[in-house]
Amino acid sequence: MPAIFPRWTNNVPIAIGLLAPLIGAGLIFIVWYWFSPSYTDVGYRPEQPVPYSHKLHAGDMGIDCRYCHNTVERAAHAAIPPTGTCMNCHDLVKTDSPRLKLVRESMASGESIPWVRVHQLPDYAYFNHSPHVAAGVGCATCHGRVDQMTVVEMVQPLSMGWCLDCHRDPKPNLRPLDEVTNMAWDVEKTPYDPDRDPMRKRKVNPPTHCSGCHR
Amino acid sequence: MLPAFVMAHTPRNARVSSEAPTLRLGLVAVAIAALAGGCRGTRSEDPPVHLNPNMDFQERGEPQEENPFFADKRWMRKPPEGAVAVGLLKDDDHLYRGRNLDGTLADALPPSLKLDEKLLGRGETRFNIYCAPCHGASGHGNGPATRRGGGMQPPPADLHMKRLGPEPLGFFFHVISNGKGKMRSYKAQIPVEDRWAIAAWVRTLQQSHSTTPVAAAAPAAAGAAKGATP
Ligand code: HEC
Ligand code: HEC
Ligand code: HEC
Ligand code: HEC
Ligand code: HEC
Ligand code: HEC
Repeated sequence: MPAIFPRWTNNVPIAIGLLAPLIGAGLIFIVWYWFSPSYTDVGYRPEQPVPYSHKLHAGDMGIDCRYCHNTVERAAHAAIPPTGTCMNCHDLVKTDSPRLKLVRESMASGESIPWVRVHQLPDYAYFNHSPHVAAGVGCATCHGRVDQMTVVEMVQPLSMGWCLDCHRDPKPNLRPLDEVTNMAWDVEKTPYDPDRDPMRKRKVNPPTHCSGCHR
Repeated sequence: MLPAFVMAHTPRNARVSSEAPTLRLGLVAVAIAALAGGCRGTRSEDPPVHLNPNMDFQERGEPQEENPFFADKRWMRKPPEGAVAVGLLKDDDHLYRGRNLDGTLADALPPSLKLDEKLLGRGETRFNIYCAPCHGASGHGNGPATRRGGGMQPPPADLHMKRLGPEPLGFFFHVISNGKGKMRSYKAQIPVEDRWAIAAWVRTLQQSHSTTPVAAAAPAAAGAAKGATP
């Protein structure tokens, strides 16, 4: 009786034994690398309806973040400035620039400028700016050097792992409370120990339990 | 994007490839996959694709989000005209409008605020955030935003000019809250206590420039304190 399986099939189990782990590892790698927010989200820089540049306004002119994002110290949400805030200046300067046409139209009609959202957590995660700013976590730690961006882009994944990396060991990410919006502040240049800062009334205690962020 | 990937990975590549040719093959496969899929941090204008959307986006209004249901497309609803939230009647004329009972501008801080180092410090930082772009940190009207794009028309006022010296403290509060001339109102941007703190700081700046720099601090505090006694 001829053999049902030809001789080469003897190698199949060995091949499977060798290849399966490789393919498995490959799949894990693919999911780990390409499915993570570090790949899907970081670098997202949508085109905005008005060519507004943080580099010009916050960088070159040195306008503080809070001039526009004025609720960041008080509220969960860092407000995107209403058209009126732009008009504070653009009523006085560059009043007929074509690039600001939409801003003037929005002012006249009362309709919002349709800014495209860049950072967005899933709706089941809770984030609040004010405790982070009050604890002395700099904008640059989470948003990167916004003052050097012509178009805002995501530089951090905003993934749960990223949140927890800091929450488990916040100390290296803290800075003096009055340097929060200072984009150029650098631990390397100005060593800082939060435990010895008289401005701090208590130790920071970020939540690492699930209900801290999934409430 | 390719150069960044190659640069970041070159040292590891080089070390491994001298060890075994099969590994090299694997690395080539990974590199091809990387080229097909792109690298982390690649800049893109397309919205992020989440392969498993879970419950990332739910029927929930967030601040400033768009809602096509309403005519003005806003999730955030404006209270109807004339509605007053509990506790927000704002009937304290001194605190909210800077006026005495007889309607004249007050020349003192409201009784609920105390003039101290903390208030002036607050005033200084808030002034530097909200006023300095135009009026300059020293108040001379030459802030960084006035030096670009052809300058402002009209230029921001010099806060040290003679006319503003005798104005009562409430005047500055009034200008911040309601604007004046071409300067727009800052009521929506700055909470009321901070507006008073800024007014006190403007007075401090004025006083500090009207005397010699060395003697500045004492009269400044005294001058502002004058405003503090009811
Ligand atoms: C002159 C006003 C102004 C100033 C000053 C300013 N911003 Fe913005 N910012 C905006 C506007 C308008 C947008 C929305 C358009 C955009 O994304 O470019 C924005 C968007 C952003 C976003 C993205 C928001 C999103 O959709 O996720 C971040 C992050 C941000 N700003 C951070 C900063 C930081 C940090 C500073 C201080 C260095 C700063 N901004 C200063 C006006 C300003
Ligand atoms: C503190 C004052 C100030 C505020 C607030 C401000 N700008 Fe500007 N902006 C300027 C100045 C000054 C220039 C001119 C800079 C230059 O040309 O060197 C400018 C330039 C611009 C330009 C380029 C115009 C051109 O023709 O080159 C755009 C677009 C712009 N601003 C958008 C905005 C938007 C949108 C906002 C509101 C979020 C805003 N600005 C808020 C001061 C301001
Ligand atoms: C601990 C990290 C962290 C810090 C510090 C931080 N942000 Fe954010 N920021 C976020 C996250 C996360 C989001 C997305 C929030 C969401 O989707 O609800 C965000 C969103 C924003 C937005 C878009 C509007 C919003 O609230 O969704 C703006 C504008 C912004 N941040 C500005 C700032 C400024 C200005 C500072 C500094 C004063 C700052 N952020 C500090 C993490 C941070
Ligand atoms: C760079 C450091 C850092 C990162 C990144 C960070 N946090 Fe925090 N977070 C803190 C610190 C510090 C505190 C503690 C504040 C305190 O104890 O006063 C805190 C507190 C909190 C709180 C408690 C707030 C409250 O009301 O008590 C929540 C919720 C929170 N973070 C959510 C998040 C989420 C969600 C993310 C990721 C998107 C995140 N954080 C990323 C540093 C960070
Ligand atoms: C510091 C804040 C924080 C804490 C603490 C936290 N999470 Fe999360 N979690 C997040 C954020 C932010 C996301 C969204 C991440 C993203 O966008 O990929 C998330 C996402 C998730 C998801 C969905 C993941 C997915 O992609 O489907 C699950 C499940 C989850 N968290 C479970 C937990 C559990 C269980 C705990 C407690 C052990 C916990 N989380 C604690 C911030 C937190
Ligand atoms: C966008 C630029 C800008 C900003 C920011 C700004 N101002 Fe002004 N301010 C002006 C201009 C322009 C004038 C002159 C108005 C006129 O003469 O029509 C002025 C005038 C004034 C005057 C003089 C009014 C008079 O009687 O002539 C005072 C006082 C003043 N500003 C205070 C402030 C304070 C306090 C702040 C901070 C909360 C501030 N300004 C922020 C542009 C600005």
